[in-house]
Amino acid sequence: MADRPLPPPETAINWFKSMTLIRRFEERAGEQYTRAKVGGFLHLAIGEEATIVGAVAALRPTDYMIATYRSHGQALARGSEPGRVMAELFGRVDGLCRGRGGSMHMFDLERRFMGGFGIVGGNLPLAAGFGLSSDYLGNDDATLCQFGDGASNQGTFGETLNLAALWSLPVVFMVTNNQFGMGTSLERHSAQTDLQVKGEGFGVPGLECDGMDVIDTWAVTEEALRIAREERQPVLVEALNYRFRGHSIADPEDYRSAEEVLEWSKRDPLLTFGDRLIAEGVINEQQREAIDLEAIATVDEAVAFADASPEPEPSSLYDDVYVLSDEVRGWYSADHRGAGLQKGEELC
Amino acid sequence: MAEMRYREALNEALTEELERDPNVYLMGQDISVFGGAFKVTEGLMDRFGEKRIRDTPISENTIVGIGVGSAMTGLRPVIELMTINFSLLALDQIINHAAHVRYMFGGQVSVPLVVRMPQGAGHQLGPTHSHSFEALYLHVPGLLVAVPSTAADAKGLLKTAIRDDNPVIFIEHETLYGQRGEVPDDPDFTVPFGLAAIRRAGSDVTIIGISRMAQTAECAAEQLAAEHGIEAEVIDPRTLRPLDLDTILESVAKTNRCVIVEEGWPHGGVGANLAALIGEQGFDDLDAPVGRVTGVDAPMPYAKNLEQISFPHEQQVIEATLALFGDRKRALRG
Amino acid sequence: MPRLSDSMEEGTIVRWLKRDGDEVARGEELVEIETDKATMAYESDTAGTLQITAQEGATLSVGAKIAVIGDDDPAPSNSTTAAVEVPQPPTAPTPAIETAPQAPASAPLGGERVKASPVARRIAGERGVDLGSLSGSGPGGRIIKADVEDAGTAASASPPAARTSGGEASGRGAVTTTEPTRTQTLIARRMAESRATVPSFTLQINVDMTTATTLRAELKASAGEGQAVPTINDMIVKASALALREQPQANGAWRDGHFEHYSRVNIGVAVAAAGTLVVPTIFDADTKTLAEISAESGALAESVRSSAITPPQTSGGTFTVSNLGMFGVRSFDAVINAPQAAILAVGAVEQRPAVHNGEIEPRMLMELTLACDHRILYGADGAKLLARIKALLEAPLSLAS
Repeated sequence: MADRPLPPPETAINWFKSMTLIRRFEERAGEQYTRAKVGGFLHLAIGEEATIVGAVAALRPTDYMIATYRSHGQALARGSEPGRVMAELFGRVDGLCRGRGGSMHMFDLERRFMGGFGIVGGNLPLAAGFGLSSDYLGNDDATLCQFGDGASNQGTFGETLNLAALWSLPVVFMVTNNQFGMGTSLERHSAQTDLQVKGEGFGVPGLECDGMDVIDTWAVTEEALRIAREERQPVLVEALNYRFRGHSIADPEDYRSAEEVLEWSKRDPLLTFGDRLIAEGVINEQQREAIDLEAIATVDEAVAFADASPEPEPSSLYDDVYVLSDEVRGWYSADHRGAGLQKGEELC
Repeated sequence: MAEMRYREALNEALTEELERDPNVYLMGQDISVFGGAFKVTEGLMDRFGEKRIRDTPISENTIVGIGVGSAMTGLRPVIELMTINFSLLALDQIINHAAHVRYMFGGQVSVPLVVRMPQGAGHQLGPTHSHSFEALYLHVPGLLVAVPSTAADAKGLLKTAIRDDNPVIFIEHETLYGQRGEVPDDPDFTVPFGLAAIRRAGSDVTIIGISRMAQTAECAAEQLAAEHGIEAEVIDPRTLRPLDLDTILESVAKTNRCVIVEEGWPHGGVGANLAALIGEQGFDDLDAPVGRVTGVDAPMPYAKNLEQISFPHEQQVIEATLALFGDRKRALRG
Repeated sequence: MPRLSDSMEEGTIVRWLKRDGDEVARGEELVEIETDKATMAYESDTAGTLQITAQEGATLSVGAKIAVIGDDDPAPSNSTTAAVEVPQPPTAPTPAIETAPQAPASAPLGGERVKASPVARRIAGERGVDLGSLSGSGPGGRIIKADVEDAGTAASASPPAARTSGGEASGRGAVTTTEPTRTQTLIARRMAESRATVPSFTLQINVDMTTATTLRAELKASAGEGQAVPTINDMIVKASALALREQPQANGAWRDGHFEHYSRVNIGVAVAAAGTLVVPTIFDADTKTLAEISAESGALAESVRSSAITPPQTSGGTFTVSNLGMFGVRSFDAVINAPQAAILAVGAVEQRPAVHNGEIEPRMLMELTLACDHRILYGADGAKLLARIKALLEAPLSLAS
């Protein structure tokens, strides 16, 4: 599939920059995790940069993007400030979600990045909901929903694809097949390993792209979005890729061999796309290095920004549990911090 | 005022809100062509069309998820789950998403969603179709929980629920659908959330009834007055979140005794919760431990006689109330 | 805590008569306990080494552990109330703490927790009502708000309220505050309850005691050295007893919505003692001779004055006679000793002009006032009782049967 032509140089360079930023960001996030700056789970997308950037590149700014708990890259690709993404990982007040969501729950409404979601398969119905809104409101916004191969076994996969097809919703479902549902390989978790056909029975046709190739991913996603937007036909796209890191930082990767990882690393999307840009004269080696240094500098700034950002005020604990209004002036909450009760409104 | 059935009051609320706001739409199993399993949505499809009155497949979790997604992006969905029993299939979307999306994304979005569903025992539907789950949803911060027990409240609270920007778990009661009550005609009539109704004034004991049990409590109160000289104040909280704890505490400060009546299970129930709140906030006003009357601590049996003794009736409320009085009930009777 | 009277719910350890670790024999006096009626010496019913677990001043429910005798056998078999530890100060502080070595670690010090509802505790605190002095009408005997409110009424009816003045300037000068004893508290409560709950009415009658006083003077003159002569009061006791035997509805009680009638006629005689009021009982007064009544009442009065009266001697009364004649009081209205049906208040025997056989002549007159509980003793019945007592006293030979 490497035979697809390159996009215009400026576009190609932007994609490359975006992929480089994600790579350097994820590496630094992993490093910050080991330094205990980042809590909870940390799922890195190293190796999946082409799938992310290629898919996002196909979206209009008004389209909705929704992803999984592995979604720092999607936020960055959609244009969220790296400092705010890092600050969210650090649990700081300037994080995208003010420190309420963390690594698994990035969200940036302004850029219509509609969230990372912690429950496998839980985001599919929401994607259909976005599609329903677009349909109901009569605009031509489309929705791109990414989820993993593991999520294709959830009940919501079948339920949502059925409903999306039944109601002709403009949604592209992209199953990012990194070949492991956590530590269980595809062959061991899905009877049908050709994931793109899994939607056919629900009335959702399938397409396939090389998730290690940003251009192919972009091209296939763009076609899928066109079908969804213009033909009101949801589409399932399978993006085949490979994550080079464990499922999360805590993953010892006992379920796959070093040789296998090495074999795939030859297809490292950042490496191969950079090589192609040089080979086709879009950039030279110095420029590649400059882009890399720029990404590293951006990530340095992001870390500095996140470090400088204060922790959320304890008094903000109850913020946004509810939309307070005349109807909901407050609520009673038993609070572990004090012997008594707190009325929510008094803390807001 | 017009007299109408509880289900008709709900229908009227839906009709008025569908007319008022074009972004309000209904979604659920058999709500459109069939008119709803309990006929609450009867006639709405003819009036508003299939775009706004949407029949769904039997996919509770996804239906709620679609509701959440569309609520995050500008619509105001009102979902009917056929009964509360089936909401268990949608718990992931209700709790992880409807209740938490706003909070976990730092307030960037809100979820103006209503999930309507009936609950309750008494129809010999056995263990899987007789649940009372107000306590389950009360447990979750981020959700609002309404439990209307009259036709007027059914209408007024549903209109408020639809207009509110928070996800609302709107729990109807199967037994109440056919009951008639006076409902104000004013199209702007709403019942605010967080305002308990005092169904009966009294000075000797406060009886709090949840959902249908508000009616059971009222009947018990009349008997307590007639046969035992005990004047009970009956409170229907109407919404459990937000909770009008002030009205409850004021009443208990006056009566010094409290009994809570609910249809659900005792452990972790609404009564357990209210008893704790009253203990924490009104301890120095109590003359007796807070009493509870609940459904029995067992799955709901099918056999009619067993089912009938599995959820509260007036007699249990009376007994629980008398138990708080000891020798004093003689004095009161005299 | 042994139960030492029919109405005893709790008792206060006044004084240990044995020390911790002493060997005690069965029947030896162990401890003085103040009950609701009297202070009693309690004898050991077993032998062994004494381990004291309740200190002097502690007030405990009946059945609570106060000591262990012999081997580790901590469970009192007749315990009716679970012992609950509570950090409550003793009602009457005593300096005796040093006399007892540290109690075993397992044994709670301090008093028994009074069972009272939260709102009762709050109001009692606000009004200075001692919860320990109340008995509860709530489930399981819990003191509830209404009990405290009732006690508030009693407090205002009884003499000085038990509140410290804190040295504040007062129109009444310095206020000295004293804590009532258990008995005083009980009297206060019972009197208030009686006044508040008993629908009473009073009947008065004049009795010509000329014959009776003459008879008594004759008896006195003929009596030998040290031989007791019946008092006027003994005659009244006897007359009352006989009248009650004839009028059984007066020898009863209104209790919990029922009439109770008693087969025995037991006359309580109010006896004033230092700071308290005790009503010892003359059992079966209707069948006793005047001499027997006289001897018995003398002994009982002496017991009261020496604080040797025991609960059985103050229980079981079916009617009460209260005599203030010795103070020159002509007549008064007594508070019914609930749940008894009536109380007879006896005034002084005075020489006053009276019409006798158509002539005005000096006679020995006495006024009797009968207070009746209208729920059991109605006007005519009360009047008949009073008239019968008058008739018996005016023909005193009838008392000497």
